[in-house]
Amino acid sequence: MTNSIAIALAVARKDLTAEWRTRELLPALAQFVVLALVIANFGFQIDSHNAPSIAPGVLWMALVFAGLVAFGRAFAAEREQASLEAMLMTPASPVAIFAGKALAATLLLIGCEAVLLPALALFFGTPLSAPIVAAVLLATIGMAALGCLFSAMVARIRARELLLPLLTLPLWIPFIVAGGQAVQVAMGAGGSYDQALALLVDFDILFVVLTSLAARFVLDE
Amino acid sequence: MNKYEKAALGAVALMLLAAGAIFLYAPTDALQGSVQRIFYLHVSSAIAAYGCFAVVLLGSIIYLRNGSLAADRLARAGALVGLVFTTVTLVMGMLWAKPIWGTFWAWDARLTSTLVLWILYAGYLLVRRLAEPGRQAARFAAVVGIFGFIDVPVVHFSVTWWRTQHPGPVIVNDALPPEMLATFLFTMACTLALAASLIAIRYRIETLADGPVPAVAEKASAITSNEPEPVR
Repeated sequence: MTNSIAIALAVARKDLTAEWRTRELLPALAQFVVLALVIANFGFQIDSHNAPSIAPGVLWMALVFAGLVAFGRAFAAEREQASLEAMLMTPASPVAIFAGKALAATLLLIGCEAVLLPALALFFGTPLSAPIVAAVLLATIGMAALGCLFSAMVARIRARELLLPLLTLPLWIPFIVAGGQAVQVAMGAGGSYDQALALLVDFDILFVVLTSLAARFVLDE
Repeated sequence: MNKYEKAALGAVALMLLAAGAIFLYAPTDALQGSVQRIFYLHVSSAIAAYGCFAVVLLGSIIYLRNGSLAADRLARAGALVGLVFTTVTLVMGMLWAKPIWGTFWAWDARLTSTLVLWILYAGYLLVRRLAEPGRQAARFAAVVGIFGFIDVPVVHFSVTWWRTQHPGPVIVNDALPPEMLATFLFTMACTLALAASLIAIRYRIETLADGPVPAVAEKASAITSNEPEPVR
């Protein structure tokens, strides 16, 4: 068990080191989410009156598509250099390797959120409060588990850019529903914040357990 | 005539009988008029779709556990037939919604979750098509098939969990007059028979498409994919 955790941390550190040395993904993601806000501005004709009501939707749209890009890249380097097979040939358990990849991708997405949330507050005049950050972070956990599972799957399939959103987006809907509600309440709409947060935790547990059970079948292939 | 042709013919005959019951025996709804007759096939198809996706779930779990090719074929057949019944449910629901709600579509929990169900299993079939045929396609699809089933209880309980425009359960709530209930139960039985025969036929097609697998090879592949995990 401790061995598996050490392996997961080592894999995550490897991915983060590679990202730190190349600095490819995170700047691109940051630019991507800011661009998403600009596009939303043109799509919704945003002014100071409607900005607070549109902001939660824009937040989740930007986050979901940034997530697709981030998790789509999670296994890209391994695929391009065919290094995943080598990693799987080591005695390390596939689930530990998967957990490490998922952890690194999650941290990268959190880095992207660290740009998105202040940018949203700046451009849309919404509050940047702890409840909003908590809801986004909780949603990130479950979304990362699912995103990495299907990223590992489509890395071996033709038309992977096409298939990743088709498989991932429908299963992310629970997080967008509960997370969206939590952020709306935190931004001033009516409803129960605690209930939405509890739902997010439930979905996190469900999908983290399911993906860790399924990871072996996806990676071993 | 082989047994598959007989099953198909039997299912068609049953569906014609159900149509007779729907249009000739069932009373006309006092409020909605004749359009309410959509109800019988709409709800029956939804239940048949649940059943098909349960077959996918079961086949997927069995396949991942012991690599049984038969279980994988069953899952494949179930997904395709389930997708057909989900389509029927959605289309008939929209046709019913137009005169009663005044719109084809409302973004309420049950309609949305049913649409998501359709997308999930369309994704399942896409994985089957795009992955490398054989073990990879079967494994990946099985994972998608298991995750996709999470949406089935969401669809089913959506009318209880959220306030929806879509009406709640009428069968278990005893809200139907006996003739309507009898017509519904008969239609549901016929639709489930249709689904079962479609799955059986599709299973046969999948078996033929897989090519002749000698009994020994099938057994061997089941054994190799069932080998215990190496000790770590």
